[in-house]
Amino acid sequence: MATAKKILIVDDAVFMRQMLAKILMAEGYEICGEASCASEAVEKYKKLRPDLVTMDIVMPMMEELDGIGAVKEIIRFDPSARIIICSVMGQQSLVIEAIRAGAKDFVTKPVQPVRLLEAVRNVLASEKT
Amino acid sequence: MQNSYRELFLSESQEYLANISKCLVRLEKDPSDQSAINEIFRGMHTLKGMSATMGFEKLTQLAHQMEDLLDELRNRRKQLTSAIIDTLFAAVDVVEQLLDEIKENKSSTTDIIPIIETIQRHLSEKEVISLKENQTQPQTINIQEKQDFPFNSEEVSRLKTFLSQGNFLFHIFVHLNKDCVMKEARAFLIVTALKRLGEIIKAIPSIEDLKEGKFDLSFELFLVSKEEQRVIRQEMANISEIEGVRVTPVSLPKEMVSQQQEVSQKTSVGAQPSPVYVKKIQSMRIPVERLDKIMNLMGELAIAKIRLAQIVQTYKIEPLEEVVFLLDRLISTLQDEVMQTRLLPVAYILDAFPRVVRDLAHKQNKDIDFSIVGGDIELDRVVLDEISDPLLHLVRNAIDHGIEDPQTRKKAGKNPRGRIVITVSRQKGQIFIEISDDGKGIDFKAVRKKALEKGLITEEEAKELDEKKVFDLITLPGFSTSEKVTDISGRGVGLDVVKSKIESLGGRVDFETKPGQGSRFILTLPLTLAIIKAMLVNVHHEVYAIPLMNIRETIKVHKRELKYVQNFEVMKVREEVVPIIRLDRTLGIVGSSTMEDEEGRLSLVIVEYGKKALGLVVSSVIGEQDIAVKPLGSWVKRTKGVAGATILGDGRVALILDIMSLM
Repeated sequence: MATAKKILIVDDAVFMRQMLAKILMAEGYEICGEASCASEAVEKYKKLRPDLVTMDIVMPMMEELDGIGAVKEIIRFDPSARIIICSVMGQQSLVIEAIRAGAKDFVTKPVQPVRLLEAVRNVLASEKT
Repeated sequence: MQNSYRELFLSESQEYLANISKCLVRLEKDPSDQSAINEIFRGMHTLKGMSATMGFEKLTQLAHQMEDLLDELRNRRKQLTSAIIDTLFAAVDVVEQLLDEIKENKSSTTDIIPIIETIQRHLSEKEVISLKENQTQPQTINIQEKQDFPFNSEEVSRLKTFLSQGNFLFHIFVHLNKDCVMKEARAFLIVTALKRLGEIIKAIPSIEDLKEGKFDLSFELFLVSKEEQRVIRQEMANISEIEGVRVTPVSLPKEMVSQQQEVSQKTSVGAQPSPVYVKKIQSMRIPVERLDKIMNLMGELAIAKIRLAQIVQTYKIEPLEEVVFLLDRLISTLQDEVMQTRLLPVAYILDAFPRVVRDLAHKQNKDIDFSIVGGDIELDRVVLDEISDPLLHLVRNAIDHGIEDPQTRKKAGKNPRGRIVITVSRQKGQIFIEISDDGKGIDFKAVRKKALEKGLITEEEAKELDEKKVFDLITLPGFSTSEKVTDISGRGVGLDVVKSKIESLGGRVDFETKPGQGSRFILTLPLTLAIIKAMLVNVHHEVYAIPLMNIRETIKVHKRELKYVQNFEVMKVREEVVPIIRLDRTLGIVGSSTMEDEEGRLSLVIVEYGKKALGLVVSSVIGEQDIAVKPLGSWVKRTKGVAGATILGDGRVALILDIMSLM
């Protein structure tokens, strides 16, 4: 890997962020930033321009922006943004909503490292549209 | 669960199952027969759905497993082996068993675990090709056949528009990972990804169903795109949790890829109907009782018409004559049509036979080529119901006693593969069903020996045993030349039962055999039991109908010719002693006059049933007529001597005599 791909991790739980970071860094990805709420995610995306975002879709509402809203906001800013949704099981409609908004893939919590890495690899491999 | 649903469920399930068996046999002959697999899959799928609705758990479970296996086969992820075919056959048997249990309303004792384990073993055998890596794909799908055509007219017109704009059509088959979570979201993701490349013309199941997760692990999409196959495949390869995906270009019938002007012309003017490929409902299910009711009402309508005609004639109401004439024509046409609804193709029962033949042949290590000719010929469903067992018996007989094993056949200079053919044909309101085999034929010597042993014939008779005599002998109850009773034809149903069953339907059994060359049974049957030919007779003032098939002759005899044998009246008719029944006494009809005419002569109708004859004394013979048989109400059902009723042209009711019960 010539230059490590930069990943922004968005999750309201510190524990989750750390776990995801650990899994991703072990594979050689660079964690360029972390966000704990939707609006922070949008803000950090604009600033850091990561190659990929992992985003928990259910986060505490802050400033009227939820996970879906954050996806929409990021896609509006960068239509080719690569966002992977992390969601607990059973939130199909939310996930579908996020995909409609432009998310490229999703993984379910509890996150299985293999699945997460597969998703990251796949999404990074897909051409920017 | 309500009974009415259950019955519907049962009849429908059995239909599906019969078709599945048929397809299985087809599949065994030609393992590449994809349409057979599809049909079986669809059948199983429906069966699963129905039994789940009805709450039959075992059935649902088994059907589900079978469906899984078939799905693998259908999508060519699994090679069809003879072991799998055997498993499928075995599974069908278990399904049948389960249905029987449901039918008999008893709690299920069938153990489905073994068969399910077998199916699962097949499923887990890892020969699944990961489609992702499999680059050797089928080149193109050709959609030419109308029946395979998956699009409706609206989709067709959309398709045409896209194709005329330089798009290509692709068939995309997606199979998700078994442990894929939130498959609806996954499917949506795939659909969304593909939409970036083009337009989805059709999804199977529909996009809505996909979004709601109403699919197993795989689905199909038809995509129009300007991109190449490779690009689409690449896009799909970058989506997680897909076990396999197959992208295949689709070529369409020529007229589909025509120029756009033509397209718009066609669709706007509509001069030429644009191809509509949606299957129209061609047939529907009607309860048999309803058909019977319609048939009955038809009869009554016909009678009302006759009365109207009589009135018009009696009062000479000319303006009505033409109307009555028209009415007459309409009603008879209608009657014909209604009659048709009672008819079903013989294939309805014969379809199950190939399976039986296959199983029995397997069991006995015989190689048998079984074919049915004329399965589309139609017969009254009541007759069909009744002949199913006798036919099956004859076929079993042919396999068991007729066809020799391959070695013996080879030695005899025959094709090691035996042949059994059922030929159905129709001639003038009669149906002929012929069951022929090219086996060893009936062994006259064995029959003779057995008949002598049992004292059925004398040495004298034994010398001049011909075909007819042999047939008479082998149709005697309990007569079997087979040394050992096999579980095939030695089930207690003998040829005698076959014969009496067919005769009770007003039919006949004929038989030909050539030692070493095979045997042939010919069943002659009436087209329907709803309308029969009958002789109308008077018993005092009452009219009775005697089925013509039972009548040997009508004669007039002087009462002096009647003799008594131990208080029974008998008469000698051509060397045969015939018991006499005075219908007025038997039926309890009191008349003012005696039955004999001025010269003391009696009218006798000699009827026969099986081998026995009977002389019925009647007041007078009216004549022959076609009558519509109507069932009797339950309160008179058990009346001895009466089989049913009919309504005569003048509105009077005539009872139909049941000859068998008079014997």
